[in-house]
Amino acid sequence: MNGWLWTATVLLAVGFGPVVWAVATGPVGRRVVAQNFGTSAVCLVMLLLAQGYQRPSYTDLALVLAVLGPVGTLVYARLLADDLSPHPPHTNLLTAAAALATTAVVVAVCAATGPGRAMVKLLVTGALLVAGNVIASRAVSGGYRNAEATSHG
Amino acid sequence: MADVLTVLALLLVAVAATAAVAVRDPARQALVLAVLGLALAVLFTVLQAPDVALSQLAVGSALTPLLILLSVRKVRRRGQREDGGR
Repeated sequence: MNGWLWTATVLLAVGFGPVVWAVATGPVGRRVVAQNFGTSAVCLVMLLLAQGYQRPSYTDLALVLAVLGPVGTLVYARLLADDLSPHPPHTNLLTAAAALATTAVVVAVCAATGPGRAMVKLLVTGALLVAGNVIASRAVSGGYRNAEATSHG
Repeated sequence: MADVLTVLALLLVAVAATAAVAVRDPARQALVLAVLGLALAVLFTVLQAPDVALSQLAVGSALTPLLILLSVRKVRRRGQREDGGR
């Protein structure tokens, strides 16, 4: 096991372990936030695993998850809106933590990969992940609800 | 020491699956199922089966929750309509 795999193990234990606990207990708002954060954590774990196993094609997993994870969270934000609207959860701190962790991991993996097409793919994955996380967090905490209400009259 | 990652992924899958069974409300169960899908995807990747993990992610992260939540919403609406008709 090399340093990348150890980092992935630690990130899986510290980042994804609490997510499993948080998604199984507590109010609906906290569960949706936990699911959203879990997506980001697993995406970073995938990036680290791809680097650790020396298989650049494994980054496809992170790319797919960076696209589909926020879509799943938006599904929850839309269909569980009745449960979320009375007590919208606060997501700023977790979003900032996820964005910071994403930046750190993507920069480290990019530095190890070196310039080329693989690095562009990594940067696209990181950008998609951060943007998707910000949009999904804002939707969950009710940031788009006023706009939706006005657009529907 | 190389098995630490596998053991951790297996442990997370076991905990998430137990939680998915223990949670009773279907809407909340969909959330736990999504997290279980993520844990399974990590396990498949650790076991060097990225193709299986890819399909697991594609189905588990957006499609299954959407189907479950749409079904729950439809059943609830039908229940409310029948209650209102009586």
